[in-house]
Amino acid sequence: MTYPGLVSRRTPADEGSPASGTNSAANGYRRLNWKCMLSMYIGHATLYLLLLAAYILVRSHAQGFLGFYYEPVMYAFTVLLAIVLVYTMAAPPVFYVRYRYRITDDRIDVRSGVLVLRHILVPIERVHQVEISRGPINSILGLAEVTITTAGGVATLSYLEVEEAERVAELLNSLVGRMLRERLSATPASLSGPAGD
Amino acid sequence: MVVPGEKIRCHPSIIVERSLSGVVLLAFLVTRFEGTPVAAVLLAAIVALLLFYYRQWKLTTIRFNEAEIVVERDTLFKMKKTLPYTKIASVNVNRGIINRLFGTSRLQININSGSSATVPEAVLTFRRDLADELRSTISEHLYGQEIAPDEDKAVEPLVSFSPVDVIIHGLFSVSTYQTFVGSLFLAYSVFELYTSMGTGFGADGKALISLLIFVAVQVGPSISLILRYYNYRVYRRGETIYLEHGLLRTYKTSFEVSRVNAIRVKQTLIARLMHRSCIEAEVVGLASGSGESLRPILCLLKDDATQQRLLEELVPEFVDGHARERQPEEAKGVLLVRAAIASLVLVLAAAYPSVYVYRETAAIPGIAGTVLPFALPLATAAAALAICYATYVSYRVTEFGTGADLFSFVNGAVDRETVVMNYDKVQMVRITQGPVARLFGVARGRVYLLSAVGGASVSSGYFAGSRLAAIGETVMERIASGEYDWRKNSV
Repeated sequence: MTYPGLVSRRTPADEGSPASGTNSAANGYRRLNWKCMLSMYIGHATLYLLLLAAYILVRSHAQGFLGFYYEPVMYAFTVLLAIVLVYTMAAPPVFYVRYRYRITDDRIDVRSGVLVLRHILVPIERVHQVEISRGPINSILGLAEVTITTAGGVATLSYLEVEEAERVAELLNSLVGRMLRERLSATPASLSGPAGD
Repeated sequence: MVVPGEKIRCHPSIIVERSLSGVVLLAFLVTRFEGTPVAAVLLAAIVALLLFYYRQWKLTTIRFNEAEIVVERDTLFKMKKTLPYTKIASVNVNRGIINRLFGTSRLQININSGSSATVPEAVLTFRRDLADELRSTISEHLYGQEIAPDEDKAVEPLVSFSPVDVIIHGLFSVSTYQTFVGSLFLAYSVFELYTSMGTGFGADGKALISLLIFVAVQVGPSISLILRYYNYRVYRRGETIYLEHGLLRTYKTSFEVSRVNAIRVKQTLIARLMHRSCIEAEVVGLASGSGESLRPILCLLKDDATQQRLLEELVPEFVDGHARERQPEEAKGVLLVRAAIASLVLVLAAAYPSVYVYRETAAIPGIAGTVLPFALPLATAAAALAICYATYVSYRVTEFGTGADLFSFVNGAVDRETVVMNYDKVQMVRITQGPVARLFGVARGRVYLLSAVGGASVSSGYFAGSRLAAIGETVMERIASGEYDWRKNSV
C-alpha cells in the first residue's frame, strides 16, 4: 500500500539533509509551511512583551525588595532581554529551515531544533493516541499541532497546515487500525488474552 | 468461597480505614474549639463523615465474574468500573495496622496504564482469608497459576535478607544528594545549638527547624524504608516474581516477568564504598497508593556478587553480558566545555556577593576577620573544583552497550545507576545534539519507556549519533522481522 504525498515506504535511517522547497519529498521528508514562522513570531513577541512588562515592574518596584542585589539583577535581566530578543528574531527561520518530518508505514521520524537539534523516532506500533489541537494564533493562520501519544511519552508534529494535520492524523489512525486488524486476523481467538477465553 | 457473579461487599472495617484520618483531624479541632458552637458543628461533621463512608460501603458491590471484576457504587455519584482480567497488571495484598486489628487485608488491583500508573484501579478490603483466596484466584487468571494462601512461605527464596541488610538498605540506599542536604541541616542545627550554649542564650527556632528538616530529609526516608522492607523475601515461580515485605504494613506483590520494562542496578556513593548494590524493576501497574516508592525492589543493598547472582536467577531475561563502551574522546571536549560554563556561571554569580562580604567583614577583628572575607571565594573555588571532578568521573563512568535483545546505559558520577532495557519495551527514541555537542560530533540519547510511575525516560551520555540511532533502528528491525512479539509486550 502506498500513501501518495504524505508517507513513504519503510526507509532506512538516514542522516540526509532535507529537500529544499516546501513539502518536497526527497528522502521522504516533508517540511513546514512558511506560515509557521509567522505563528512563531507572534507567539514569541507575546512572550517577549510579557518579559518586558516583568522587567519594567522589577525596575520600578523591586529596588527595596532586592536590596544590594538590585543592580546585578537588573544587569542580568537586561542581558536576558537582549538574548531573548535575538532568539525571538532568529529562531523562527532556523526552526523552519531545520524542521522536517517523515511518516513511513512503520515509523514517525521528526527532526527539529534551533540550538539543540532533536531527532525523534516513534514506531507506529507504539502509537496509542493521535490528537489535533489548535491555539488561537494557529487557528487564525490555519495551522494545527498533531500530538502522538505512546505509552512512554509524547511526540508532537508542530505548525502543520490544518488539512495536512488532519491527513496525518487520519493516516496514523489508519496505519494503527490496519496493524490491529492484521493482528486480529492473525490471532486465533484462544490467544487473544491469557484469561477470559 | 466467592461464587462467580455473586455480588459481595468489602469488609465494614473499610469505613474506619477511609474515615480515620478525617475523624482524627476533626476530633483534634473539636478539642481546640471545646465549648463553642464550632465544636458542635465539627461533631456533626464527624457523624456525617462516618455516615457518608457507611453509605458508600453499603452501596458498593464487587462481582468477580469469569472474565472481569466489576466494582459498582450506587451512591449519588454513581460508578461502575469493569476490570477485565486481560488488562490487569498485578494484584497485590497488603495489611496495615487497622487491617491487623480487624483481621483484614487490602486487595489492590492495578491495570496496565501509563496515565493511572501511580494509583491502584481498585482498593478493596476483605477478611484476610478471603483476600488471599481472591488474590490466588485472580493470579490464576493472570499468570495461569494459583497461589495457595500458605504456599508463599513454603517457597525457598533465592537469597535471604537479614534485618541487618534491611537496616543497611534503609540507611544507605537514600540518594547521596539527599544525605548531603540532610547532613548540612544537621550540621547547622548542631552549630546553632553550640553557639547558643556559648552565648548563654537558649537556642532559637532555627536549630529546631534545621533538625526537623534533617529528620524529614534523612531520618524519615530511612526509617520508612526499614519499615517497608523488613522481612524482605523475593522469589520467582515460573514467569511470575513474588515479593513480600513490611513490618507495620505488610506487602505481597506479584507480577509477570514480561511486565518488567527495565532493570536498574543502583549504587549510592556509600553503597559503592561498601561494594553493595540494589536492583529495582520498572514495572507498570504496581501502584501501592501509599505514596511510597512505586518501583519494586528485586534486591535490597547486598554485596555485588549476591546482587549479580540474584539478577541472573530472578530476571535472566535482563542478563546477556553484552559489552559496554565508554564515551568517545570527543565527549571529553563537550564535558569540559560544560564544566567550564558551569564554573564560569558560578564564579559570576558569586563575584558580587564575594566583594560585598569582603567589604563587610574585612574590618572584623580576630580570626573571623581573617577567615570570613575569603570564605565565599574559597567556597566558590571548592565548588568549581567539585564540578571539574564530577565531570572527570562522569566521563570515566558513563557507558553505553548494545546486545541482541538488550541495551544498557550507565550513568552517575556520585550515585551510579546501570539501566538495562529491552528493545521491545522502547516506546520512543530521541537523539539530541546541542551546539557544543555538534562541534565535537557527539549526541545524547533519551529512551522513553512505560515505567512504574507512568511514562519515564532514561538518558545516555555523549556518544556518536549513529551509535545511538542504532537503538531506534534495532527497535524497528525487530518489529519488521517479527522478532517483536506484541502478545508479550503490548500494553
